[in-house]
Amino acid sequence: MSTETGRAGERTLFGHSWRRIVLYLVLIGMGAFYLIPIETGLMTSIISPETYSGNFPYLPPLEPLVPGTGELSIEPWRGAIDGLGQGLVNSVILVVPATILSGLLGSMAAFGLTTISWRGQIGIYILFVAGIFIPYQAVLVPLTQFWYNVVPLRAAFEPLAALPLVETYHWKLLALIITHTAYGLPICTLLFRAHYKKLSDEMVEAAQLDGASVATIYRRIILPLSIPMFAVVFIYQFTQIWNDLLFALTIVQFGDAAVVTQDLVGIGVSQSGTNFPLRMAAALLAALPTLLVYIFFGDKFAKGVAA
Amino acid sequence: MAELTLDDVTKVFTEDDGNEITAVDEVSVDIEDGEFLVLVGPSGCGKSTTLRMIAGLETITTGEIRLAGRRINEKPPAERDIAMVFQSYALYPHMTVQQNMSFGLEESTEMNDDEIESKVADTAELMEIKELLDRKPSDLSGGQQQRVALGRAIVRAPEAFLMDEPLSNLDAKLRATMRTELQRIQDDLDVTTVYVTHDQTEAMTMGDRIAILNDGILQQVGTPLECYHTPNNRFVAGFIGDPSMNFFEMDVDGETLVIDRFEYPLKPAQQEAISGRSDVVFGIRPEDIRIKEPGGLSDNYQFEVTVDVVEPRGDENTIHLTFDRSVDDPVTFTATVSGLRNISAGDEVVATFPPDSIHLFDTDSGVAVHNRTFDSEDATHQVL
Repeated sequence: MSTETGRAGERTLFGHSWRRIVLYLVLIGMGAFYLIPIETGLMTSIISPETYSGNFPYLPPLEPLVPGTGELSIEPWRGAIDGLGQGLVNSVILVVPATILSGLLGSMAAFGLTTISWRGQIGIYILFVAGIFIPYQAVLVPLTQFWYNVVPLRAAFEPLAALPLVETYHWKLLALIITHTAYGLPICTLLFRAHYKKLSDEMVEAAQLDGASVATIYRRIILPLSIPMFAVVFIYQFTQIWNDLLFALTIVQFGDAAVVTQDLVGIGVSQSGTNFPLRMAAALLAALPTLLVYIFFGDKFAKGVAA
Repeated sequence: MAELTLDDVTKVFTEDDGNEITAVDEVSVDIEDGEFLVLVGPSGCGKSTTLRMIAGLETITTGEIRLAGRRINEKPPAERDIAMVFQSYALYPHMTVQQNMSFGLEESTEMNDDEIESKVADTAELMEIKELLDRKPSDLSGGQQQRVALGRAIVRAPEAFLMDEPLSNLDAKLRATMRTELQRIQDDLDVTTVYVTHDQTEAMTMGDRIAILNDGILQQVGTPLECYHTPNNRFVAGFIGDPSMNFFEMDVDGETLVIDRFEYPLKPAQQEAISGRSDVVFGIRPEDIRIKEPGGLSDNYQFEVTVDVVEPRGDENTIHLTFDRSVDDPVTFTATVSGLRNISAGDEVVATFPPDSIHLFDTDSGVAVHNRTFDSEDATHQVL
């Protein structure tokens, strides 16, 4: 019995308490459970389509790899980049502005509904909250009608298409940006409002007495204090919008403006069968940006959630 | 710097269910240029609401507030040229001390960066926080944050300072130090100041004048000694002074006041003051009661009493006395005696209520009908 590493009376194995050993076994098991699908995808994506058999897809590819050369196959990745390139660019054009806009507008709305007090704000706030509960399915037809028949966005966008880097089909992405911003606004407002309720009223009053206008209070006091919450909102919105397929199908429908999720649906599928290595490479490629966002903003996200 | 006038200022809050609550009821005070007025009262008496109306953070239901003779009711806080120190200090947590102090000057004046920097440096020197200028509020102790909050108000050189219980979050020792320092600074700057507190010690020691509020109604405005020695009513008499004044509800019987345990003969002037009343509240401050060893009563103002509890305070002892320890509801009162006197619970002593130190109040309204002998000209002499 050892009293140095465990509590008195606890049974131990090589100086480690059983409690610890079981904990680590569970953690390792859970790690494997979560990582094996990704590992399987990765392994599959570096197998040459010709030699792909579907047996033991989680094992590293064995000989022969690319027939005759003995090298790992990068062909699926090359194919994924070719097939998704346009969609990735379109998704970035869509997601970055939509995320920033919904976060910024959500923060402003929450400031106006929480920190500043005025008559009727509760009513407006209830409308925002109600927005969270409108199902996507309910707005699909109205959305199509709105962007194709009610708002002449396409015609209004034509002159802009003359600018460098701007294409005519970008009007669909603009419509998608506005739609996602509007749909993301309620949840962003809700998140920011919870944060702003915790800020000291006296601090805002001190700023008022210091001569700051409402806009200045937002810009110089509230905005800098919102940074942890922006990390939360940005990660959330980025993932939501990046992974969205329904609105993209509804508004973009088809064509050059298709985003990455739309392209992903069809890649590697043909009448002759499914090209699994290509599909896996494409899936990993499409998921990469959200992974990067989590890796780079994860610590700020944790801070914002804990705040 | 300017005089501040509150003219019949009233604040009525309407609750969600339509109930109207009058938080501040027709309060009128003239605060002179450079004066230090302490607004004191128990929690919920409307003192903070009054301060917030002066600041512009609450609307004024009726009445008028004038600063330097100009009506400011409709002006937003930013345009009133008033600085406020909050109980929570309300520093901007993401800014350094330097930025905290510069903020008001940047937003409310046309000064350029160099002027602002030199003003902040001067004020930091005055407040002895020069070495803290690059730190953030979270790196400061409570006392240091307090100094920064004061510095942020001072640097703007406003027409008036408002302070909302600024010392209540400090420990007792630091509070006493800051009390003195605040008085010194206010004296040096000579800025009209309204200081809100629930602590009667702060009110007594800091204010040029104190205004006592209860239930939204102004009870009395006067110098600390006026309020202490000649209270307008029973509330003021009980609120100012620690330990509190002793009160006995007594019946009037000709020339004497009567209660179950004792009788008290009145002087002719006192009889006149209460003529026509059948009952009255008798008040006397603990330090006015004289205690001596037992051994015969030499006049009618002396009573044989028993010591119930002794609270030593070092410089003086607060002793709780009772006329009769054996009954279920003994009439008790407090007296203060020198800390060096050796008195313990259970001792039999003789208490004297000197006739020139007593106060008499109306039983129902609490209005003072007779106050102790007090000549404000002699005030300095009396307290020595």
